[in-house]
Amino acid sequence: MTRRIVAFALLTAMVLGLSAGSAAQTVRRGAWLDEIVVVEEPSSPAALTRIEAGDINAFFWGMAAADLYRYRRIVESPAMSYVESVGSFDELTFNPHGPTFRDGRLNPFAVPRIREAMNWLVDRDYIVKELYGGLAVPRYTMVHTAAADYARLADIIRVIDRKYAPNATLAQQVITEEMRKLGAELVGGKWQYKGKPVTLIFAIRIEDVRKQVGDYVSGLLEGIGFTVERRYGTSAELSPLWYSGDPADGKFHIYTGGWIRGAINRDEGGNFDFFYTPRSTMVVPLWQAYKPDPEFDAVALRLSKREFSSMEERRELFAKALELSLKDSVRIWLVDRKSIWATQKGVQAAADLCGGLSGSLLWPYTIRYTDRVGGSMRIASTSMLTMPWNPVGGSNWIFDMTLIRATSDFDLLPDPYTGLFWPQRLARAEVYAKQGLPIARSLDWVTLNFVETNKVPADAWVDWDAKAQRFITAGEKFPEGRESLIKTVLRYPADLFQTKWHDGSNFSLGDMVLRIIMLFDRSKPESAIYDSASVPGFNSFMGHFRGVKIVSRNPLVIEWYTDRYYPDVEWVAADGSAFVWPYYAQGIGPWHTLALSILAEADKKIAFTAARATALKVEHTSLIAGPSLTVLRNMLPGAARDKILPYEPTMSQFVPREESWARWNNLVRWFAQRGHFWVGNGPYYLEKVFPVEKVVHLKRFADFPDPAGKWDRFGVAARPSGTITGPARITIGQAATFDVRITTGGKPYPVKDMQEVSFLLFDAKGELALTGPITAVSDGLWRLTLTAAQTGRLPAGTTTLEVVMVSKLVAVPSFVSLDIVTRR
Amino acid sequence: MTAASTTQGARRAESSFVRVARYTGVRLIAVLVTVVVGVYLTILIANMGGYVDEIRMGQIREAVGLMAGANPDLPFMSDEERIAYVEQLVAIEVERLGMDRPFLLRSFTYLANALTLNFGRAEQLISDSGSRLVRLIIIERLPSTLYLFATGQLLLFGSAILLALYLSQRYGSWLDRLVVALAPTSAAPGWFYGIFLILIFAGILRLLPFGGMVDTPPPADRLQYALSLLKHLILPISAILMGALWQTTYFWRTFFLIYSREDYVEMARAKGLPPHLVERRYILRPTLPAIVTSFALQLISMWMGAIVLETVFRWPGIGQLFFRAIGSYDTPVLLGIVVTYAYLLAVTVLVLEIVYAILDPRVRIEGRKAEA
Repeated sequence: MTRRIVAFALLTAMVLGLSAGSAAQTVRRGAWLDEIVVVEEPSSPAALTRIEAGDINAFFWGMAAADLYRYRRIVESPAMSYVESVGSFDELTFNPHGPTFRDGRLNPFAVPRIREAMNWLVDRDYIVKELYGGLAVPRYTMVHTAAADYARLADIIRVIDRKYAPNATLAQQVITEEMRKLGAELVGGKWQYKGKPVTLIFAIRIEDVRKQVGDYVSGLLEGIGFTVERRYGTSAELSPLWYSGDPADGKFHIYTGGWIRGAINRDEGGNFDFFYTPRSTMVVPLWQAYKPDPEFDAVALRLSKREFSSMEERRELFAKALELSLKDSVRIWLVDRKSIWATQKGVQAAADLCGGLSGSLLWPYTIRYTDRVGGSMRIASTSMLTMPWNPVGGSNWIFDMTLIRATSDFDLLPDPYTGLFWPQRLARAEVYAKQGLPIARSLDWVTLNFVETNKVPADAWVDWDAKAQRFITAGEKFPEGRESLIKTVLRYPADLFQTKWHDGSNFSLGDMVLRIIMLFDRSKPESAIYDSASVPGFNSFMGHFRGVKIVSRNPLVIEWYTDRYYPDVEWVAADGSAFVWPYYAQGIGPWHTLALSILAEADKKIAFTAARATALKVEHTSLIAGPSLTVLRNMLPGAARDKILPYEPTMSQFVPREESWARWNNLVRWFAQRGHFWVGNGPYYLEKVFPVEKVVHLKRFADFPDPAGKWDRFGVAARPSGTITGPARITIGQAATFDVRITTGGKPYPVKDMQEVSFLLFDAKGELALTGPITAVSDGLWRLTLTAAQTGRLPAGTTTLEVVMVSKLVAVPSFVSLDIVTRR
Repeated sequence: MTAASTTQGARRAESSFVRVARYTGVRLIAVLVTVVVGVYLTILIANMGGYVDEIRMGQIREAVGLMAGANPDLPFMSDEERIAYVEQLVAIEVERLGMDRPFLLRSFTYLANALTLNFGRAEQLISDSGSRLVRLIIIERLPSTLYLFATGQLLLFGSAILLALYLSQRYGSWLDRLVVALAPTSAAPGWFYGIFLILIFAGILRLLPFGGMVDTPPPADRLQYALSLLKHLILPISAILMGALWQTTYFWRTFFLIYSREDYVEMARAKGLPPHLVERRYILRPTLPAIVTSFALQLISMWMGAIVLETVFRWPGIGQLFFRAIGSYDTPVLLGIVVTYAYLLAVTVLVLEIVYAILDPRVRIEGRKAEA
């Protein structure tokens, strides 16, 4: 009996022990993986072979339509899985000069109606299916299909999509009419002008599917009587023709343009100005040749400068701008490309809807094996370590930034599917916006209040005296007082200063104060690290910055005053926080590692930016490898001995002596162990860099404060998928009811997660007959009832009911349609 | 020995010295002129006679335009402020690249710097560890190129020469016929075989790595590192050998065959000299200048690496660097590689001229009669 009791006790102890073990596993902190080894693999086919062979686990490079057969290989492989993104987009750029060039040649694309007709000539569905193999989405308007504005304006855009659906007859009719007005004549099926064939120079990019697109469009133009001279080339080869050349010289008529977007855009309003007007930042002759219609120009300017007082007014302006942009058509949009990111089966990471895996800020927080916790993972990209790493002006190469982000922790993190920000190290925020500003709120961690005005307190910092190394207050610089359109109150959690840097140092207010100092100091000629390259950005910043004030030190509360705002209040709050959180342009930086770099730059031994390094004829600061390390290593003992505090007159008010000692001791130990100065605070720390071998070794940071699964809810995009059920035939003048079932991953879509479900009813002529919202019945079910009066307005024939599903969780809306016969 | 004959001997020696000095001087000048012309042509070609400035200007404006377009402050700037902002950014980049000086002036600066081996700073590229100094960029890549190509070329050259010598004595044997039959396989370059080798030994059999120089992460222990390096050398060196061994052997075997049919060789054989002595004294020695020339040129060709082979095996060598420098129009890096090669070539040619005179008894300076 005693034995049994002992055995039972042992068994119980074992079970409890196991439970305790499981409990420990479930509260794993920081990263899911133990380590990540990052390697370079320039070849996509080789990367796929390596994934299949188990040599690498994920390939952080988006394969596009040019890699179509590889896409099929991924889909068909039992060893591979993938995620999609839609960051890049293609278009046709026209030369609008004319109607004749300097040498007298005719340029049909000087006529807006001919450019508009090109929308009807090209068949975007054909391009998507046949040329991109389905790895793209047709696009008719300037608004990206993965932008927040696409969801906001989905109904308007769908009407435009239908208006500009392929119609070769209409295209030919319009072009013929306009060509004759220009004095051209069709001789033997070929357009001639003053006795010579009208030859269009088509600059066609060859690096991707745009080559096929160029050939396809050339074929269409030849089919309607133009002679096309195809000039194939790479970006660099064609740039002098279309971009930097004078459009009056007529070196090109059409160019296969392409653009990249790395993150979801929440405000496309400024893009009309950018793509259609000479006000664009593309200050080159082509853009200067743009002459938009005055009405379009005015609307584009208002949208760009956010001259509207409500989101409704903005929507009206957008509708007008979209309509006029299609009539202008200095460029016509073709597709939003999809990219495929391959991983081994059983590997999961949150990918950004636009930026994919490498553009995702959540990847280090979420990457894991689905069947186990911990382990080592090997990921590859086409190139990395292309430039020196330093937070202030180091590498901005996309894949270097992917790794830098893995070593950085953030105040806020963007939702990879909506682009809205969620708090990470920030607790909450309050935004006080001037009455009448068009700002709206979606998430509840930030509050939005409208006020008459925001007065900048007299003790708020508004500038920096680089000589005295102290802040200038609003009271000193603006004794008459200062106001701002926006005041953001940033509230940080009470345990913020218990979080750790990778070298064991505690995060401190000093890190944030240095960040604020660095906003100013490098652009002041009196500074020891003055960098003229930073002045344009600084001037731009000072254009909207109105002041900053540390209201409370612990818990930390900061007030940020600015005249810059966005349509989403989450972005307004993030904007303020971004200027005080020590994540610089190219990575996170604790004050002590930056102090060492500042010291070295002040001694003119290295420099944060490439421009300054060239001017000083010294090396560009790298905290991870190369000759900079020798400079920094040589300075470290002295700095550590003297417990150097940068900008001491100011920093000493925020950094106690003992913190300074601890920091330098930690840095000396860190460098001795790892041989580099890259100290971050993200879920992974940089264990070692092998620059020539192109290997980066990241290890899990055990002191990371958050549970590993904090961001797991973003593992998969919850895109809505719908079906419509209802009568196939309706009688005009009688009511009809349709059920819309919406699901995601096979489960009913929660009503609370759906922004809006609306319908568009296109009549037999293809014109919009009715539009409106659809009512939610329960999770997964929405119901539309067309009243007798509504159906009474429909003509007989085939009517199309299209349902637009806009989710709060994903920026890309979904569509579903049903053809109905309407009869009397 | 009389005083007269001593004086005559001294005069003869002095005369020989003068002749050698004059010969070397003339050759040196010729080589230098060739180098100057070659380097300046490289500058002109690499910059497409200055047209690259136009391309670069477009690239700068495009990059700046995109960057400025993403600036959230744009809505709050006036038109003038926007343009000034963009133009300031463009000016910073133009100045950084030195494009604020006309190309013609820059071309002479490039030339002067190159000839004095002052390669300066790269315009676009950086070394893997983050340096902009061309010297460091090249030096950093040199060891890996040397590991691969020195090993590969030495193995290739040594084995091809030995095998060729062996075959030249066994003309018509099955081995000889096999090498002749295999020679056309060298029509495909090494990297072509490399792809198949990777597929078989890394992808299917998983015996050897897919590429790279060492394991990832690289071993901390030196011996382990060296072993890992050796393991990673197997496939690329096999590819080099497969791509060139048979053709090189065939070439040298034919070359030796011609010499082994010479009368004096037949005579040596008829005298009953052992084959190794015939090979060494009667075939190898007269062919030595050609062998040394080939070897020397092959040796310095390593400097340029091999672009595709290095890419296939992800080998971080000078070939890949050269390719990147061409793609990014980085003139200082291109010049650094080309000029060093030009100097190496010039010095090699000069040294070979002297070595010929030592190795080949028939070569003498300025018409001295060949001794019987």
